[in-house]
This record gives sequence, C-alpha cells and structure tokens, in this order.
Amino acid sequence: MIEGLTNVVEVDDVTFTYEGASKPSLDHVTVNIKKGVKTVILGSNGAGKSTLFYQFNAVEKPDSGQVRVLGQPAKYRGKRLKEIRSQIAVVLQNPDDQVFSSTVEDDVAYGPRNMKLPPEEIKERVERALFETGLTEFREKNTLQLSYGQRKRLALAGALAMRPEVLVMDEPTAGLDPQMALELMELAEQLHNNGTTIVISTHDVDLAYAWADEIHVLRKAEVIYSGPSEGFYCDNMKVHSTGVMQPSMFVMNKNLADIRGEDPAPYPRTESQLISKMVSGPKGKLHVIPVTDKVDHYMLDPVFEHTDDVKVGVFGTESRRLLYASKMPADFVFNGFESCVGRCLRGKDAVLLCDADCVNLIEEKIADLIQFGTVLEYKVYP
Amino acid sequence: MSEYIFETEDLTYKYSSRQEKPSLDNVNVKIKKGVRTAILGANGAGKSTLFYHFNGIFKPSSGTVKYDGTPLDYNRDALTELRKHISVVVQNPDEQIFSATVEEDIAFGPMNCGMEREDVEKAIQDSLFKVNMEEYRYRPTIQLSYGQRKRIAFAGALSIRPDVLILDEPTAGLDPQMSQDVIELVDQMVEAGTTVIISTHDVDLAYAWAEEIHVLRHGKLVFSGVPEDFFADLEQVFLTGLTVPHTYSVNFMTQSIKGEKLDPYPRTNSQILCKMRHGDSATGHIKLVPVGEGADMVEEEGAVGVYGSDSRRLFASKDRVADYHFNAIECCLMEAINGRPSTLYCDERMVPFVEGRIASLDRFGSHVEVVR
Amino acid sequence: MSEESQMDTLAYSSRMLSWAPLGKLLLVIVVLIVNILTRSMVVPIITLIIGLGLMAYSTNFKIPLFIGLAILEGIIILVIGAGLISVTGSDSSPVIWETNILWFKIHMTVDSFNTAWNVFLRSIAGITVMISFATSTPIPHLSQALRQLHMPREVCELIVLIYRYGFLLLERMESMWNAAHCRMGFNGFTNKIKTAAAIAVGIFTSSSNLADKAQIALSCRNYQGIFPVYNAPPKVGIKWVCLVVIVAVVIYYIGINTLDVVNMAEIFFGKDVVG
Repeated sequence: MIEGLTNVVEVDDVTFTYEGASKPSLDHVTVNIKKGVKTVILGSNGAGKSTLFYQFNAVEKPDSGQVRVLGQPAKYRGKRLKEIRSQIAVVLQNPDDQVFSSTVEDDVAYGPRNMKLPPEEIKERVERALFETGLTEFREKNTLQLSYGQRKRLALAGALAMRPEVLVMDEPTAGLDPQMALELMELAEQLHNNGTTIVISTHDVDLAYAWADEIHVLRKAEVIYSGPSEGFYCDNMKVHSTGVMQPSMFVMNKNLADIRGEDPAPYPRTESQLISKMVSGPKGKLHVIPVTDKVDHYMLDPVFEHTDDVKVGVFGTESRRLLYASKMPADFVFNGFESCVGRCLRGKDAVLLCDADCVNLIEEKIADLIQFGTVLEYKVYP
Repeated sequence: MSEYIFETEDLTYKYSSRQEKPSLDNVNVKIKKGVRTAILGANGAGKSTLFYHFNGIFKPSSGTVKYDGTPLDYNRDALTELRKHISVVVQNPDEQIFSATVEEDIAFGPMNCGMEREDVEKAIQDSLFKVNMEEYRYRPTIQLSYGQRKRIAFAGALSIRPDVLILDEPTAGLDPQMSQDVIELVDQMVEAGTTVIISTHDVDLAYAWAEEIHVLRHGKLVFSGVPEDFFADLEQVFLTGLTVPHTYSVNFMTQSIKGEKLDPYPRTNSQILCKMRHGDSATGHIKLVPVGEGADMVEEEGAVGVYGSDSRRLFASKDRVADYHFNAIECCLMEAINGRPSTLYCDERMVPFVEGRIASLDRFGSHVEVVR
Repeated sequence: MSEESQMDTLAYSSRMLSWAPLGKLLLVIVVLIVNILTRSMVVPIITLIIGLGLMAYSTNFKIPLFIGLAILEGIIILVIGAGLISVTGSDSSPVIWETNILWFKIHMTVDSFNTAWNVFLRSIAGITVMISFATSTPIPHLSQALRQLHMPREVCELIVLIYRYGFLLLERMESMWNAAHCRMGFNGFTNKIKTAAAIAVGIFTSSSNLADKAQIALSCRNYQGIFPVYNAPPKVGIKWVCLVVIVAVVIYYIGINTLDVVNMAEIFFGKDVVG
C-alpha cells in the first residue's frame, strides 16, 4: 500500500442494495482512493464497479457505512452535495448516456451551468476542457455527428468542466479501436500528471497493469484485494476465481523468472520494461523536443545534425493537434513513448515531440527503465 | 460447391447515391470454408457493411457477392433460404433480442425458418446447453444481465444450426472470463463444421484465434492472408488504425535485439514463453480426459481444467468447480511449462483440437507430454 | 430496478402464472360486474375475500414497496371519498349525526352511512381482484389473452414490442438520470426541467437508433412479418367458462338473498338510531 498520502475518497464499510434487488450490490466495501495515485478498479461484469462510483460522488446513498470526500462526510443534499459533485466527476461507459445538449460547446457547459456559475467562469471552464480533450475545433459541431471516439472525449470534457479533484472513468477504452484507446489513456496520463487523480475501471488487464499504481478488486459485491497490482496477480488461483486473467507482461516475466529460478522483481509493466529486462543490446538515443506553439520540420534540424536515421513520435494532446495542423508526417502518432523507446532499444534513434508540461513525465518514464537494465541516453531540447 | 463460402467481386457499396466516398470500394474478398477468419479494421472501416452483404441485407451498388460459388439472388424467398444458413450475432445483444422470454427468443429464428415443433424444442435445449443458460429458459429477457443477454443472443444465432456464424465484436464489453467462454464456444462450432467469421478491431483476439485475416481501411480491402504478413508491415498496420498484437511485438523486439530470426511466430503467451525459455527445463505433462457419454471423474494430477460443454456439464452435475474453469487449455499449458502436471477434462470431439494446441509448442522448442 | 421491472418480476414469479390469462381476465371482469349488481353488502365482502385470497396466492405476500404504498394511497383516497359520501345524506332517512363545521353541513344519515360503506367495500374488493390479476399476468400473457379474443394480431404484437422496448428505454433513462446527477442536472427547478427535456430527447434518439438496428437484426433472423409464439399460455377451456359462470351465479344468488342482512348503520350505532 502506498502510505503517507491523503485520501480523497473514503468508502467506509458501505453496504448498498438497489431497490427491488435481492442481493446487495456492495457488501461491506471499504475502498480508499489516495490523492495522486493512479487507481484501477478491477472486477468482472456485475461485480459492483459502477455502483461503487455512484457512492463516490454521492449519486447513491449507502444503506450502511459512510462515504467521506476530501476528509468530510458526504451529504446528499444542499451545498455539500454541490461541492462533492465538483470534487468528484464520473464519466460513464456509454457516452450517449451523457449527452445533454445539441452542440459540443453547450454540452461541455452543462455541468458548470447547472452549478450556477457566473458566465465568464463557465466560458473559461469550457475552453479549458475542450482544449484538454483536443475538441476545440469541434466546438460548434452537432453532438449527433460525432464519431464514437469523439463522443467519448466529449463525455470526458463534460466531466473536466466540473474541475474535479478526482476523475473517475468507467471503462474508458471500451468500444474504442486500438489507436484511439491508447490516445485516450495518454490523455488520462496527462491529466493525472497535471494534478487530477484518475480512477478507472476496466476489463483490460494489460491496460490496467501498465497504468495502475494501486488496484482494488471487486468480486460479487465485495472487495477481495486492495494494493499494488503484483500482490493480486501473484496468486494465480485467486485471479482465476475472480474471472480475470493475469496481464501478459506479468505472465511472461513471472513465468520466465520461475523457470530460471530468478527473482521476478522488479516487475515490468510495459513492453519496453519487459524487453529491457529480457534482452539487451546497443541502444539508440531519444531526442525529446517539447512543443509549445507550433510544429514544423525545422524543429528536427538540431537532431539531424547528429543523425538522419530517426523516426518521429508524438506524446500529448496539444502536440498531436499541432502536428496534424502542420501536416508534417510522423511515424508514431499514438503510443509515442513506447514506440520511440522500442526503437531505441533496437539500437536506433528516435525523436519524441511532446507537450511542454509532459517533459517531467517522459523523464520519469525513462528513469523507470533503469531498474530493468536500460539506461537510456536522451536529450531534452530547449 | 466451392472451397469458398463467400466471395465478392469488385464489390462497391454506397448507402445513398449522393455519398461521395463509397462505404465499400472495389472489395475482392474470398472467405474459405471451415477456416477461422477475422475481418479486421478500425471503427468505420466498413466491416459490418461487408458482412451484411454476405447475408443479403445490403445489395451492392456494383459488383457481385457469391455464397458457396453462386451469386446471391435478392428475391424474398431466396433471401429467406439464404438466411437459414447464416447467423449474425451483433455487438449489442439488445438489438437482436425481440421476445419477452428467453425461450421465445431462441425459438424465434427456428420458427421463422419453418422448423417443425420437435426440432424447435431440440434446438432450444441444445442452444441453451451450449451457452450454459439452461436454467434461464423461462426467464423474461429484461431480467438478464448484459453478459447473459450476450449469451442468449448467441444461443438464438446457434439455434438455427447455421453453416456460417458471423460475430461482430464478440468480446466487446465482456470480462476476460466471458470472453474466453465465447472463444471456447466458437472453437466448438468450428470443430463441428461451422465456418466462423469474427469482425473486430481487437488485434490480440484476431492474432490468437484467426488462421486468416482480411483487413479493411476506409472501405478498401488492404490485406488478405496470414496475420504475420500483415503485422510485419508496421506502417500499414498504423495506417489502418490498428496496433500490433502484444505477442507479435514482444517476439519482434526480442528477436531483433538479439539479431535472431523472427519465426516461428508465437501467438499465445504459452508459445512465447516456450520460445524464450529455449527448452531450459523439463515440462510437466497434461493428463487429457476425454468426456463423452457416461464419462466420470478420474484420478487427477495437479491443477484441474475443464474445456467444452459436455465437460462443464459433468462438473456441474457433480457440483464441482474446476481450478481452471475458463481458458483451460492455456492455463494447463502454463502449468506444463512451469514443470507441473495438470489434468484437463475436455469434450471428446474437441480432443484433436486440444492435442493440436498442445503439440503447437513443439515448434517453439518445448514438448509437452499428453497422457490419457 | 425500476418499478416496471419489479412488477414484471412479480408477475413472472407468481403462482398463478400458469393459469389461462384469458380465464383470469374473464373471472376478474365477471367478479367486478357481479360486485355491483346487487345492493347487498355481503357481496362486496365476499369479493373482497376472494380478491385478498387471490392476491395472497398470487404474490405470496411478497409485495414490492411501491405497490404496497399505491394500495395504501388508494385506500386513503377511498376512505376520504366514502367519508364525504357518508356525511352528505339526503333528508329521506333517519339522521345519525348532524352538525356544522365552518361552512360545511355534516348530515350523516343511515342511508348515506350504508352507501358509503357499500362504495368503500366494493371499491376495495375491486382493487384487490384487479391487483391479483396484474401481479400474475405479465404483459405478453395479457397480449395472448387479447389475441384469443380475436383482437388483431398486429395490435397484440405491438403491445409486446412496446412492453419489451419500453424496458430498454427505461434502462437508458436510468443511466441518463444518473449521468445528469453526476453533473448537477437536478440542481434547481429550471435545471430539472431542462434535464428532463434532454433525457427525453436522448431516449427518443436512442429509440430511433435501436429501431434502425433492430430492423437489420430482424431481417438477419429471417423475420417473416409475424412474431411467432412458441409456448402460448393455456387457452380458455370449458372448465374456465364453467367456473366463471358458477362464480357469477353463486355470488348473484347470495347477493339477492342477503339484501338486508348486513346493515352497517345498525352494526355501528345500534337499532335505536336506525329506527
């Protein structure tokens, strides 16, 4: 367990049964969400994940037990309720259930308008939410004309407009094709890096493993595990009885370690970490170029002084948007970091264009590789 | 008679004449009979538009569609006859469950096809048994959970005993256990002779399951053939909006770094582990227990897995839950790779398939002994 | 679970589910009619007992909260209504109680008191009988009963489709409701109205999308223009007809022969008041 951080949401011994149901949907559930900790709620369909989320933001009231938000007990009416709803935002799985207006702009403003905020503040929040989700040029589009991926981002923008401390996403990648799914998770990572605590629920164990600092596993309305991912996945039978599978990265690492009689730790969670642990060879260099206001091929000139065998990747909503606007070709438009590092591990150079506020994130990820045996040479350009 | 169950020739489709870019653009695809086929593509690439041409829901703007070598006849009776052989399971089960109770909905297909009452009864029983929902026969459909509805939609499709089963994103919205159960069911259908086509954007699913893939991008067919040949061209993969499957990627990375050749290409975790371990240590064996008429429990070794409808029924009748009650083949293989024995109860008619999966590890440098 | 689906669950788990729906319908209608054919107060008491008995058998006393509350509400309204009837009697009957409250003249007579009781008992009996029918007959069975009455097939199929799709739309509504709550959609009166409107639009859009997709799925499943019924509930046989006729005749006979057996005014206030 990660200690020493404040709890943003505490669900304390909560039991909850839906009206007319014969069994509780939550049975003496205790879950603490900590600030700044990437949390994943894992469990099969019907285990109680969505029900739990409705406890977080006081949409439902527990039959017994207590819910505390930012240290204060939850109230189910009045000013405190308003406060809670702006502290905890929940994005549901089906984006069509969350559209309340005909235009994108209007729909993002739904939450702030309901909170009766002054018009300038509403405008500012809408701008920021559209920007963060990359929907700015779609602002006047009719919500019915959006693609599924765009509707998912619209739902997210609507939640972000509430300026929450904690953003809860129910199956954020469900229904998205692989590239869009990776882009969405990158967005989530950016938001988390900028201060919003992100909680997601998902079936995708590989995604969960790469993402989570801490997991809570639900099975039949009970919490059967809370803590770091490995503590759960190490118990093969327990994992199987919950109806989920061990993540591929974990399976490969653990089994190889067991067969060779080695220590499975440190546990690689992403492909680049796994590869680093398994094999090594000459490494290429990673050139990190922060993007501020535009993207053009001149940005790559300093890199070309050293080498021209590079591939270009992008990381971050704003960088991607500027890249598309510039029509400059790039090789890795999604999953930029992993793809670039993958190339470096194979001995070639790569360029990563990233949002200025993501540079620290990139450096952290590079540092994470050291324990797996890869000391990646990189340079951050001014 | 043809070796292809479906063929299209220069198939182009526009849903309205004013449409600029056609939904399908000169598609020439051939789907082989009995071969596990996946149609891959990002959302909006035209996958559903394509397979709705197979059962005559859509008529081409130009080009032809052939079923079993014969071009489609679009008059009402011919289409009715065609749809007795082809079942489609859509992504959202609520779109294809029409009746108030489970029993009625499963009977819907067979009754529309004009089956006799005793045959309909048998079809209901069989389908419910296959999807393990027998006790839900008289339940109102509205009381079912999402996963249960998906299973009933499946049962409804199976009940007409189709020659072809088309599944649209069959594992979407399902948790890992249910996803594996769907694949197990699908594999049983394939072994029984049904041609199964899965339309999906899940590259990991397609890579682990399909023998042949057809890839669509913006209405055009960009690839037909063996999955490895597609994923080798990274740029093409990205252009289609897809990604590379985990197992392919890990194999590619490790072999490139080591400077070794990429094949044999592992598609499952067990295969990739075998390749990585270089036959380092001894493997455990798998005790295979065929389950047929009058089968019973045997003396077991190690962890116990169950695979196939008959085997599951056996366990249910003994009120027993197996250690590995989904994804059993892969789990038993993992036990073997870790040097431990395991027992796998499996339906008699699935034995060749299971033995084939176990034997596939030989290519990757590890042999797992099968005992009876 | 919404109230509709609770009702549905109740109906499908009723012990009277396997009774012929048309039979149940006829029985209910006949009992309701006979209930009001005679002045006798024994008849509503008998039908009340029948109604309660059927309700108990049908639901095994496991009545969902909202139905219990609805019944209670009904009873309260009936009590108020009957009460008003009892205090607005005419002058043609002995007076039990007479007074003035503010501008209202309370004039309770033997006749008005008896009439009030009659109305009350008949209504309660009617309610229990109808509830026993509703809690044991899901909509598809009702549709079958109507079909047996030679209602057009299209109407019957439409009833079942509306019922089935209604549930799906209710599920969507519930999701949207929760989603609206997440974004303070019910904060204040104007917001409530706007949100309700938005939800209505959402349900409308989703129903038309569902209709489009369902049409394709129908074709895929070889829809021939009618919805076949595999296991129709039992038809009305001679037994049911006899039962219904016998029940009607017996109750009517009792009614005619017990016209003045029960006199509520006498029971409550004694023979002297009645005179």
